Order: sequence, then structure tokens, then C-alpha cells
Amino acid sequence: MGVVVKKAELSWLDRTYVWPVMKGMAITFEHFIKQLFTPTSKRYTIQYPEMKKEMPDGYRGLHELKRFEDGAIKCVACFMCQEACPARCISIEAEEFSDLNITQGFEEKRPAQFKIDMLRCIYCGMCEEACPKDAIWLRKDYEVAAYDRLSMQYGKWDLMNTYAEIDGKDRISQDPTPTVPRRTIVM
Amino acid sequence: MDKLASLLHTTPAIAWMVLKVVIVFAGVMSLAAIFTWVERRGSAMIQDRIGPNRAALFGKIRIIGLAQILADGIKMFFKEDLIPTAANRGLFFLAPFLAFVPALLGFAVIPFGKSFVSGGTTYHLSVLDPGNGMGMLYPLAIGGMAVYGVLVAAWSSNNKWSILGGMRSSAAMVSYEIGMSLAVVSIFMTTGGYDPSEIIRAQGHQPWTWNIVRQPLGFIVFFTCMFAETNRLPFDFAEGESEIVAGFNTEFGSMKYSLLALAEYSHMMTASALIATLYFGGWQVPFVKDPSVLLSVACFVAKLVFFAWVFVWIRWTVPRFRYDQLMNLGWKRMLPLSMVNLVFHAWRMSQGH
Repeated sequence: MGVVVKKAELSWLDRTYVWPVMKGMAITFEHFIKQLFTPTSKRYTIQYPEMKKEMPDGYRGLHELKRFEDGAIKCVACFMCQEACPARCISIEAEEFSDLNITQGFEEKRPAQFKIDMLRCIYCGMCEEACPKDAIWLRKDYEVAAYDRLSMQYGKWDLMNTYAEIDGKDRISQDPTPTVPRRTIVM
Repeated sequence: MDKLASLLHTTPAIAWMVLKVVIVFAGVMSLAAIFTWVERRGSAMIQDRIGPNRAALFGKIRIIGLAQILADGIKMFFKEDLIPTAANRGLFFLAPFLAFVPALLGFAVIPFGKSFVSGGTTYHLSVLDPGNGMGMLYPLAIGGMAVYGVLVAAWSSNNKWSILGGMRSSAAMVSYEIGMSLAVVSIFMTTGGYDPSEIIRAQGHQPWTWNIVRQPLGFIVFFTCMFAETNRLPFDFAEGESEIVAGFNTEFGSMKYSLLALAEYSHMMTASALIATLYFGGWQVPFVKDPSVLLSVACFVAKLVFFAWVFVWIRWTVPRFRYDQLMNLGWKRMLPLSMVNLVFHAWRMSQGH
């Protein structure tokens, strides 16, 4: 059973071919003029280095390690993200510190080292899901590139400062409280 | 002005000739180069894109991307010039020139401005003075030569796609030439001469006495045939990347490719000059009875640029024809239409016009 495809009946004006071409030229010219007089900011093309795309909410870009107001890291080095990471790109080393003012306990845990291998990371957001303290966020920066492999290894301080400029925060490179060797604390 | 005139009188005729040649061919070639950019930018605008706007002089002066021409030229110039092993080396070298030279030569008889009298001598603003006995037959003959460029390029590269492209386009060019020539013949008839300056003078300065109004049918035929002659879309059968890779210039690289591309654009310039001369009054300025020389040149250039832009414009409007459609259009539509045009004008002349 074949299907009979009806050919479109063209009027004599359409069959001259000249008139439809002129109609088509009117359409293309309209586009041309419209595009010519559209200011650059309103065109469809995002001219990349000067203009950047505003990423939608929920976009998973470069990570940030969140901090408290005094600059203390929110991460408690629970290793949940390291366990959750399917690409195994997170590696954490924990340490202890004492802080009597801000946090609730006497002794606290925090990462001494928090490394993410950005070359391995697949930006799946599992670490963000796993984190019990909301300490790691995947935010909207997508410009993660470097000239060599070593600079793609993000350390703790790199990760804490990734969005410092955008949020208008200070860049930090030191914990507000010193680390305490475990054995020296009197139980 | 007097100084300029006396300088003109003291220059020997040969120097004046050389000057004209340099001005015309440098002008046409640079216009062709600019139109490679116009094509890209214009097509981008038509398709709601932006097009090349990044290339900048010294990395700073962007001038809306016009430096792209220079960048392209430099890039093409420094690319490796590969020749296929099985290619016919001699013809392979010759082909870009065979394409490029006829494209430019057609311009030689076209007056690009009003002739002027200074110090008792008449100076004509065309490379070949009017009354040379060739007139409009010369660009038509040279246009026929353009087939060789495409065909030799295709044949010498010894590539099946190239040969297919070359054959297709040469068939198209040859079959459209007849319709085109007949359309031009009816202009010769109504003008009573085939010298381009005569044709321009006969058209007068009023837009409604131009040949476009007198012979609209002839214009449509001639205009369509010009697209086939210049190998431009919708009739670019030499190329056609969806069917035969890049067609006749598949094997060409670096400066050879650049020359072939420039040849296409120079051909476009010559074609639009022909259209302007034959149907739009050449250098005649609309509504100005006795224009100054500079004004007439400016008007001619404006017409030239406009028709070159129409070539670009149509390219990005109309899709490519199928080969049989092209042949049907050429032999069953264009040829009869131009004959009807010819017979109609012959009949009108016999009725005492």
C-alpha cells in the first residue's frame, strides 16, 4: 500500500519563479537589516571573551569550598564527598584544631589538604549531594582550563577562593585558628 | 584643476593608458577582495550571525573585520602548495591564471565614467577606447573563455569529483551563454550599435528610459544567465560541496585556491559591470543631464557594488538547483524567453520605432 503524495499546486505566479525569489530576497533582506541594526548586546551570538553566557540555576561548574564569616572552612573533613566521587578526583587529609569561640565543640576536624583533580572531575555534583555541611558547591564558572596539568590540581586554598572575586570576598590563604596536634591536648 | 589638466596634456598617451589599466584592474581586484569579506559578513547578517569581525590591524584596530582580507591573504600565501602526484603539472599551474585572467579582461571595454574633453583631445574612461570595433562582443567572447579556467582546473587535478564539477559547470556555462547572447543581441538591435558607450548614451539619463524598463524580459534572462556564467549560487555547479566535495577546486590549495576564489569574485565584478552597462545606464546619473566626470564614476561604482551585492544576496536566498533543473531552465525557459524578447523587439522596430 503506497501513499499517494499530492504535489503542491503552484499558482502561475509561483511558477514564474521570479516572484517567489523576490519574496525570498525580501525575507533575507529583512533579516539582514534587522541584524545590522541590532546592537551587539542583543544579538544571538555571544561574543565570548567580551560577553559571557549567564549559566542557568543548577548549573554545575567549578567547585567552591564554603567558609564561615570569619574565614573558617565549613568542611569538616568527613570524607563523604571523597567516597561519593565517581571519578575519584577528590583527596582529603584531615587535621584537628581547637576553636572555643565560633563552633560548638572544643575539638574540631577540618581538612589540612583538600585536593580536586579538575582533569578527572566530571562535574556530576555528587560531592555537593553528599556533603552534610553544604561545604562544597558547584557553581557557575565554566572557564576551567590551563596550560599545564599541574595547574589543574586545585588545592584547598584554590578551592576556597574560586569565587572570591565574584562574591566580593577577600582571598584567604590561612585558617583563622591554628591546627592543634592531637597528642598535646589534655583529655 | 588647471594644473591637473596641463599634467594630463603633457602625459603621453601610453602613460594615460597604463594609468587606466592600473586603476581599473587594481580597482576591480581590490573590490573583488573586499567582496570576499562582504560575502562572509553579509551572509552572516542574513542568517542572524555576526561573521568575521575579529581580525584586527596590529591586534588593535578592528575596522569591522575588514582586516580579515589581509589575514586571509597572508594565510593563503604562506600555506604549503601541494600538487597531487597524478596531476597534470603544467595545466595545474596554468589553471588559476586561466580562470583569473578572463574574469578581469572582460572589464576592459566597459566605460566606468563619462568621457571628457580636455585641451582638444577626448579622454575616454575605459581601458579600450570606444570605436575599437569589438564593443560588447569582447566581454561575451572573454566570458566564453572563462569555461577553460574551470575545465582546465578540473581536468588537470585528475580527481573524479573535480572532473564532475568541471563538466557540469562547463555544460551550464555553454548552455546559458546562448540565452545571454540573444538577450544582448536585442539590446544591440534597439541601440543600433554594439559599443558599450553607444549603449549607455542611448539609454539616456532618465531611469525610465534605461534598458531595464524597455526590456524587462531581456534583463531577467541576462541576469539569470550571469549567475550561471559566474558560477555563483543558485547555479554553482563547479562546486557543490554536498554532492562533489569542493568540485573543480578540490585539489587546489594555498595561493592557487586563493586565485580561483578571487577569479570568481572578479567575474562577479565584471558581470555586475555588464549588467549596469547594458540595463542600468552605465555611468549615467539618474535625473542629472550632464553629470561631472567624478559623479559619473561614483554612480557607476555605486551601481557595480549594488549588483555585486545582489549576487551575494541571491546566493544566500536561493538554494542550489539540481542539474536537470538547471538544464531545463536553460534550454526550455531562458532560450525561448530570450528569443521571444528578440522577436518582440524586432517586431516593434519593424512597426516604425
